[in-house]
Order: sequence, then C-alpha cells, then structure tokens
Amino acid sequence: MNIKSFDQLNSLELDTLREIGSIGTGNAATALGQLLNREVRITLPEVRIMGYNEAIDWIGGPEAVTAGVLVGMGGQMSGVMLSVQKLEFINLVLGAMLDVQISDYGELEEMHQSALIEVGNILISTFINALSGLSGVAVNLTVPGFAVDMQGAILAVPMAMYGGTSDYLMTIGGNFVCDSKHVPCHLLLSPDVRSLNFLLAKLGVAE
Amino acid sequence: MNDKITVGIADMKMAKGSGVLITYALGSCIGLCFQDPALRLGALLHVMLPMNMEAGRKNPMKYADTGIRETVRQMTGQGALKSRITVKIAGGAKMFEVSGGSLGNIGQRNIESVHTILRQEGIRLIAEDVGGTVARTLLFDVASGQGCIRSYGRQDIFF
Repeated sequence: MNIKSFDQLNSLELDTLREIGSIGTGNAATALGQLLNREVRITLPEVRIMGYNEAIDWIGGPEAVTAGVLVGMGGQMSGVMLSVQKLEFINLVLGAMLDVQISDYGELEEMHQSALIEVGNILISTFINALSGLSGVAVNLTVPGFAVDMQGAILAVPMAMYGGTSDYLMTIGGNFVCDSKHVPCHLLLSPDVRSLNFLLAKLGVAE
Repeated sequence: MNDKITVGIADMKMAKGSGVLITYALGSCIGLCFQDPALRLGALLHVMLPMNMEAGRKNPMKYADTGIRETVRQMTGQGALKSRITVKIAGGAKMFEVSGGSLGNIGQRNIESVHTILRQEGIRLIAEDVGGTVARTLLFDVASGQGCIRSYGRQDIFF
C-alpha cells in the first residue's frame, strides 16, 4: 500500500528512513572530515514528520538568520535537499579552508559564500550518492542555490513544494560533531510523497 | 506594540478595535492585511500556495483563492462591508536561484493568484511590497491600518 501523506509511515518504514539518514549523513561527515582535515562524527540522525509551524519552532524560530544551500532533486526521485549552515558551522569551514572567522552573516564575502556553497554541495551530493548506491534509485541534482536569510523562509521552500499534497514536512538528517563540539549543520532531505513510496518500494519495505 | 498576535503559516487571525497581528518570515508565501477602517476590524492571512486543488480541503487558509474568500466571509460575518475592505500584501520572494524545476516560481505564481482573486472578489489592493529575494516579517496594526515589513539586511518598510 502506498502512503498518501507523511504521517501514514509505519515504524518499519521510519526505521528504514532513519537508516538512510544515518548512512547518508555518515558519508557526508567523512567527506567533510577529509575536506577540513579533522575528525568529524555525527549525532544520531532523526526522521521527523512535522506540521509547518512545528518545523519552524524545531529549527530555532522563524526570524533567526541562517545560511542555506539548496539542491533540487530530479530523475527517479524528486524533492529538495537543504544544508542549513549556522554561524558555528560557517566558522569551522572558513577557518579550515580560508583561515577566516566571521561574527555576522553580513561579513560573508563572495569568496566565503563560494566556499560554503561548495561544501554544502559536497555534503548533499555525498548523501545522495550513498542513498542512490544503497537503493538503486537514480537521482539527478541541480546546481546548488545559496541564500542568507530568515530560516523560516528557507524552510518554507520544501514546504511550499509539497504544500498541495501534504500538511506535513518530512526531514531526514543529522548534525555533526567536530573536535568533540556539536556543530549544528542540519542536512535535510525532503522528498515528495510519490518519491518516498518509490524509494521504500526499491528498498523492499513498502507493504 | 507588545500584545502581538502571531499568525502561523497557512493561518489567519482577526482583531477588532486594537491589536497588532504579526506573521514571521514570509518567503515565497504571501501575507495579506485586510482592514475595514469603519469598524477598525483587521485580519492577517498567511497563504502558501496559489490555488486550492486539494480534494479534502482541510485547510482553506493555505491557499490564496480559498484563503481570501474565507477571510472575507468571516469579516463580513463580523459586520464588515466588502466594498470598504482594503488589502495590503507582502511576500512572494524567490529565496533560491536554482536552475530548472518548478520550485523557483512559487512566489511569482502566488503574487499573480492573489491579484486575480482580489480583482474577482472586487476588493481593493492599496499597497504591496512583493517579489525580490528577501524574506519578510509582516506586522499589521488593525486600528490604524499601518503595516510594517522587517527584513534581514534591509530598512524596515512602513506601508
């Protein structure tokens, strides 16, 4: 049976998605570790199915400013993937790559943004590659987009994409731990319902 | 301005006499400030998508078409006259520049849909700040009818 809405997922399906999140985020952490030349680990990945306003509270309030890298997915799976980069994460990346620290998003220069887009793109591509290898689902990715703005509006992008079919937003993803410090970098996969059914069927867990 | 009433996504709140309504971080979504000045009755609506094509129609406030009609219906239920109601709108931005796919145009489609529905319903649109690439937080004082738009890295706009 295919699900029609994210809130209809059963516990086996949720476990499977959590596993995807774990493998994807783990691969992304390894890539980030190599890039920054230090050990990067992950926290326990989560699968969350949230109402719109709940999702915005979860990420830390609508008006807080954050940077975001967004990649669209096409091919056998459609949806978007977001890398939400907060100041701590940005300083970790810029410190290792360019030896720069910033105290406000307004200080981001073109070169810094370019580095962040590239890191976001690498994280997302690594995650999707792992998912694709595991499930045999072919996914094409768009060129990444970048924005620094209120996170409520950034999170509204995947919501608006599926708003016509679902009142919920599903996110799969986790955070990084670097030098035993928690570095929030939400890596969020938001597939649409149809792709989710296809992915679960490919993995052999759809009922 | 400390007794603000928060309007969520796909939500609408009304206030009469006095009060400030606020909705946060409008990206491609659109915020609409409705006012009947004679009654000092105001409503703030936060819509996410242009058209309601959902079979169940659980939440009319999610869409421009059903959201606007439902808000007007509830306002007239409080004694407002359709001919007196004015509207100010904000939002409809394009948050990410991503090539291909339909996700980039939702903001623009929302703006066009809101314009069309307001024209169909015969409701006057008196001010707008739409499009662009910035997120907007919208505040609306129902007594004076003044709106304020807060954005990151931009001066506040009063309209």
